[in-house]
Amino acid sequence: MFMRIMNRAEEAVICILLVATTLLVFIDVVMRFGFNTGFMWSQELTLHMSAWFVLFGASYGLKVGSHIGMDAFIKLFSRPVRRILSGIAAILAITYCGLIFYGSWIYLAKMKMIGIDLEDLPVPTWIAHGLLLVGFAFLIIRLLIILWAVITNKADGFKHADEAKESMAIVEEIQKEES
Amino acid sequence: MTTAALFILLFGCMMLGMPIAIALGMSSIGTILIFSDDSLASIALKFFEALSEHYTLLAIPFFILSSTFLSTGGVAKRIIRFALSLVGHIRGGIAMASVIACMIFAAVSGSSPATVAAIGSIVIVGMVKAGYPEEFAAGVIGNAGTLGILIPPSIVMLVYAAATEVSAAKMFMAGFIPGLMMGLMLMIVIYFVARYKKIPSQPWAGFKEILLSGFSATGGLMLILIVLGSIYGGIASPTEAAAVSAIYAFWVAIYGYRDMGPLKNVPWRETGEGVGSMFFRNTKEIIFTLPKIITDKEINKVVLDASKVSIMLLFIIANAMLFAHVLTTERIPHHIAELIVSWGLSPWMFLIVVNLLLLAAGNFMEPSAILLIMAPILFPIAVKLGIDPIHLGIIMVVNMEIGMLTPPVGLNLFVISGVTGHSLGWAIKACLPWLLVLLTFLGIITYVPQVSLFLPEYLDKLQGFN
Repeated sequence: MFMRIMNRAEEAVICILLVATTLLVFIDVVMRFGFNTGFMWSQELTLHMSAWFVLFGASYGLKVGSHIGMDAFIKLFSRPVRRILSGIAAILAITYCGLIFYGSWIYLAKMKMIGIDLEDLPVPTWIAHGLLLVGFAFLIIRLLIILWAVITNKADGFKHADEAKESMAIVEEIQKEES
Repeated sequence: MTTAALFILLFGCMMLGMPIAIALGMSSIGTILIFSDDSLASIALKFFEALSEHYTLLAIPFFILSSTFLSTGGVAKRIIRFALSLVGHIRGGIAMASVIACMIFAAVSGSSPATVAAIGSIVIVGMVKAGYPEEFAAGVIGNAGTLGILIPPSIVMLVYAAATEVSAAKMFMAGFIPGLMMGLMLMIVIYFVARYKKIPSQPWAGFKEILLSGFSATGGLMLILIVLGSIYGGIASPTEAAAVSAIYAFWVAIYGYRDMGPLKNVPWRETGEGVGSMFFRNTKEIIFTLPKIITDKEINKVVLDASKVSIMLLFIIANAMLFAHVLTTERIPHHIAELIVSWGLSPWMFLIVVNLLLLAAGNFMEPSAILLIMAPILFPIAVKLGIDPIHLGIIMVVNMEIGMLTPPVGLNLFVISGVTGHSLGWAIKACLPWLLVLLTFLGIITYVPQVSLFLPEYLDKLQGFN
């Protein structure tokens, strides 16, 4: 139950960020053409919201397998070898996320020490950029879960998106209507 | 040394099945740590800036959102009906109409596999019924579907613009004439093949049907008009046009066509209803169903699907910018460019090499990933050889189109085989003869830069630049 609420919350945050960014740019356009005014802060806010959107959503993408990758090569091997290779890949990925996480920590700590705000918004930079830490922490957790699944033989690699398969949803919709 | 390390790391990570985004990031950060003394903090800052300093990139999630709203069977059917009423009476008319439908749907959806799936699943059956050989039908759709990434607005072009800092608006202008040209080339070939194979034509549908079907397809057609009109007219940036198109697409899908959402299957006009009461009822329904949008399952799914694709692309782009940063600080493209110039390679030979390289890469990777890796390398070399960056962009996009039709990652082939229920080998064979048209087209695009550059230069002149 708890996990289900967390899942829904994660999806909701992602959707709300996308919709809010779209609406904000739309309102900006309407204001400019309709009323010849605009907000000073809207561009900075939209740009930051899109950055939060990606940072927050990247780990969700790992969970549902919406990132693209190449699996032609590791598919040549038998399952045990594939698991070893995927394990190495997961460890490398964790190293990468860990490095960026560590770098963000230093960067944000410095920003907090200097204490400057964003250019247009009265928000401290270290808070606005703080999602770097959150995003990469989530990524590390997701990668650890994948690594564990590979070790315990529940999975043999990353899940990758398949655009061709997704497009088939349209086909099914049309066929359902016709039958 | 650095170059070798960077690429070995990148391809090694990718081959291990790591998501491409992380592989790009991992190889860049690895190279930075080994060969340069950038601090990790500065890399973290660079990463955040990659996501938050490019206003053009925002167009990507917006266009994806608008295309997810309109990439439905309902929209495809309306567009096909309109296209059929236009050219159905010519010999080979259904196939030509499918090409036109693919072109329109491509502009609306911006994705090749989605175009093949939506148009193909309706049209291929229809063509077989009308006496076309099934391979012919499948081949036409598979090829016409690749137009999804060439006809603007196209996500792949935005990715190229992001990778090279070329103006996205200019790319959108440059893709227009090549897109039309390729559609025309396909239609001409279809005409001759249809004459040769004696394929029957359909009766002329009449002007009334053109108007009626045109009106029912307005939802999709208007989107193209809004987006291209505002970008070509210099009124709005691609990002703003994309945001407007997302809101418009939402409005058309939920309230205009009512293919999904709270008003699904509620007709605009009930039988025997007067105009006044119809107007009143619809206004009331639209206002009262507004709150339901937030909880509607279908709409939520569309937004979530669009989010997933956008996040995937933007996350790759952010990592690719780290990659491009390593390339520039290590002056890798610069070295390659000097090497190539010292060989005395002329521009046209370089373009052959580019084409071969991209065609080979297109067999293994997704279009956006290829563009993000190759564009930062090829771009400085091309500039040094005096090739227009916009022209290079169009060449790259056309190469990516061909990549959609070559195994093992030719997405269109998978969709074709899924739609027809035949094997992948059959789909390859069906698309192969038509691939020649695409290759001829690639030749024209590569060696006649005016095809791509005419419209952007002309529009520039109109607006008084140069």
